[in-house]
Amino acid sequence: MSRRMSIAIALTVVLLVLALLSLWFESVAGAVVAGLLILWAWASALWERLPPYPRRRATNYVVLALSYGATGLGLMCLALILATLIWNGLGAVSLDFFTESTPASGNTGGGMLNAIYGSAVMTLVGTLVGSPIGILAGTFLAEYGRGNKIAPVIRFINDILLSAPSIIVGLFIYELIVLRTGHFSGWAGSAALAILVVPVVVRTTEDMLNLVPGSLREAAFALGTPKWRVIVTVTYRAAMQGMLTGVMLAVARISGETAPLLFTAVNNQFWTTNMNDWMPNLPVAIFQFALSPDANWQQLAWGGALLITVTILGLNILARVLTSGRSFGR
Amino acid sequence: MTALDMSSEPSRPPTHAANLAPKMDRAPAAKPVMPTKVELRDIKFYYKDFLAIKGVNLELRDKSVTAFIGPSGCGKSTLLRILNRIYELYPGQRATGEVLVDGQNILDPRVDLNLLRARIGMVFQKPTPFPMSIYDNVAFGIRLYERLSPSAMDERVESALRRAALWDEVKDKLRQSGMSLSGGQQQRLCIARAVAVKPEVLLLDEPASALDPISTQRIEELIDELKSDYCIAIVTHNMQQAARSSDYTAFMYLGEVIEFDETEAIFTHPKKRQTEDYITGRFG
Amino acid sequence: MVSEHIIKSYDDELRRLDNAITEMGGLAESQLDHAIDAVTRRDTAFAQQVIEGDLRVDELEAEIEELVVRLLALRQPMARDLRQIIAGLKIGSDLERIGDYAANVAKRSLVLTQLPPVRPAYSVPRMGRLAQTMIKDILDAYVERDAEKALTVWSRDEELDEMYTSCFRELLTYMIEDARNITTCTHLLFMAKNVERIGDHTTNIAETIYFLVHGTRLKETRRKGDRTSVAPGVGTG
Repeated sequence: MSRRMSIAIALTVVLLVLALLSLWFESVAGAVVAGLLILWAWASALWERLPPYPRRRATNYVVLALSYGATGLGLMCLALILATLIWNGLGAVSLDFFTESTPASGNTGGGMLNAIYGSAVMTLVGTLVGSPIGILAGTFLAEYGRGNKIAPVIRFINDILLSAPSIIVGLFIYELIVLRTGHFSGWAGSAALAILVVPVVVRTTEDMLNLVPGSLREAAFALGTPKWRVIVTVTYRAAMQGMLTGVMLAVARISGETAPLLFTAVNNQFWTTNMNDWMPNLPVAIFQFALSPDANWQQLAWGGALLITVTILGLNILARVLTSGRSFGR
Repeated sequence: MTALDMSSEPSRPPTHAANLAPKMDRAPAAKPVMPTKVELRDIKFYYKDFLAIKGVNLELRDKSVTAFIGPSGCGKSTLLRILNRIYELYPGQRATGEVLVDGQNILDPRVDLNLLRARIGMVFQKPTPFPMSIYDNVAFGIRLYERLSPSAMDERVESALRRAALWDEVKDKLRQSGMSLSGGQQQRLCIARAVAVKPEVLLLDEPASALDPISTQRIEELIDELKSDYCIAIVTHNMQQAARSSDYTAFMYLGEVIEFDETEAIFTHPKKRQTEDYITGRFG
Repeated sequence: MVSEHIIKSYDDELRRLDNAITEMGGLAESQLDHAIDAVTRRDTAFAQQVIEGDLRVDELEAEIEELVVRLLALRQPMARDLRQIIAGLKIGSDLERIGDYAANVAKRSLVLTQLPPVRPAYSVPRMGRLAQTMIKDILDAYVERDAEKALTVWSRDEELDEMYTSCFRELLTYMIEDARNITTCTHLLFMAKNVERIGDHTTNIAETIYFLVHGTRLKETRRKGDRTSVAPGVGTG
């Protein structure tokens, strides 16, 4: 009888006693732990008795099982979130949801039209302002940044901005625009979102442009093409799909941002198209409604959350689909 | 003295010469020596501080093909890239000396780089079609410097594609992407693109090394046809290709031109031992 | 001496070609040697040996030709290698003709043994020995790749040609003197001509060796000492 076997038997006896004792003292956790330890002891003892090849196979299966388990755990969380959203939010989604503005507290019915409109407008303006800046900066880094001392600095700052807490950006715009103009506004909200768009677009633009092979540029130069024209007519064309995907990802990012809007656009219960006014938007509306005791408001909040999640998920999936299987040349 | 009486002898059989087609050529006339198009004077090239080309003097003749051969790292591609100053895209690389094209030094900083590169075209080792239609690919270079009516542009594109022996294969799909062609076709597209701007000099950097044997032969045939109009310089690591395609050959080693002569002389009786060792496969 | 090819089998094949040439040359030399012996000794068995030996010479030429075609097709030879291979082909062809002429001499010697000997019969062996030394020297020149040596052999052919001219005149004189000598002298004439042709082929080999070593053809034309084809009273050709 091998040593491990004898240890296993001894451990079993001791742990069985411990298990019974803990059951006696009504500690389920203790019993479970003791049971697991017994199992482990026996498993290692039996392990040794396996010849090498089956042992490796067994190890393989165990690790595979653990990996699948971990993946399953992650997916389960996502599934639970989506399930919760759908379960709670689907009830709110109706035609009214998309056609009526937010109701006052205590009322029934209403929708999120103004919030949807406000979010859409501010996202659009933010993207329109932030993307060109981001693309141009990314182009600079990729095309003119070689051997340049300033390029690594810019890249570094960009990375910091990328992971900056969005609430800081909100406060910055609050200081810069809200206080100066004296009121909250949709413009301020758009500005905050634009600042969040820029680093994402810079990063993706630079990466996509770097993927364009140098030989393609050289071929364009060899024909006597000036540099700006090489970039616009050849390099951009080659990287276009990737760059648009980057913008899409930026849109996905800012559609769900709440913190920056808290100090800039705030929210508006009523329908408005005036960007100088407080601008209604989904994230802040959800924030407001979810915390309130009004059941109608809570229902609308769920609906809004579902809408945002579906939008972001959709944009991400689209971006993935468009970038899959793409390669430059053969 | 009277001739012999041959009346009782059998008649003379017809000679072979009488059966020959009347237009049969005999040995081809000796090739005329073309004027010099490009002259390299004391060319040195530096990668940062490293001297890669150590002083090259030679001449490229017009309407002829000059080949550069040598082992890897000998500097032949580097030398070619000096001729259209494409090395200036990369900081830290510089060239000294003079490159005279029709007497004008193109290494002079006052020379307009873009105009220079429209006069001296280059085709690279890897086929690089632009991500646009075949038509646009060929028209790309033309549109940079010339304003042509649509019909004139069509004509130019067609003639360039014909010169590149690609017209018949693509005339029905000019609007399709250039990247949808096969490797050999893509390379010919790049050649069409380069000749469409009517350059004076064509630089070919291992144009067939990425292609299969049949495509390679097509490219070589193309070079043969093109040389009647352009001064062509070709870098190749395939000696047989240099032997087949070129009129003059330069053998380079470690940044120097070891021997430069007519191709036939280099490959039948080279003067330098190093040259002979390389081309006979004795290099060690 | 020379560095080797990176691909060793290429060197091996070139060496095989070299060896075949050397073997063939040695064989041709000994064929001529034995043929001359057959004439001087009036030995029919010897003559027969030479006639049969020509088969081996032809075999070697076929072998060389095959080897050359193979090398040209498979190795894409350049420069020195190319010249060596082409030289091998040409020398093989010249040696094969030399072998044929030697065998012809042997064949005619068979006929001569049945006829009474004549005095000019000794000039043919004398020519033959000179031709033999020429063959030996040219083979040395080939093995050593010595173009100078080849050129000395090349110029010695003039001497051989002069010997042929005097032999020709001598034989004519004999035939005029006594009609009974005509048969023998005619055969001797042909034999002398064969040996003279051997000398010419040796000079061909010399020119090929020059091309092999220097890469260009020999520019001078050989002085021909054969004046038998020139009418008397006309200048030397």
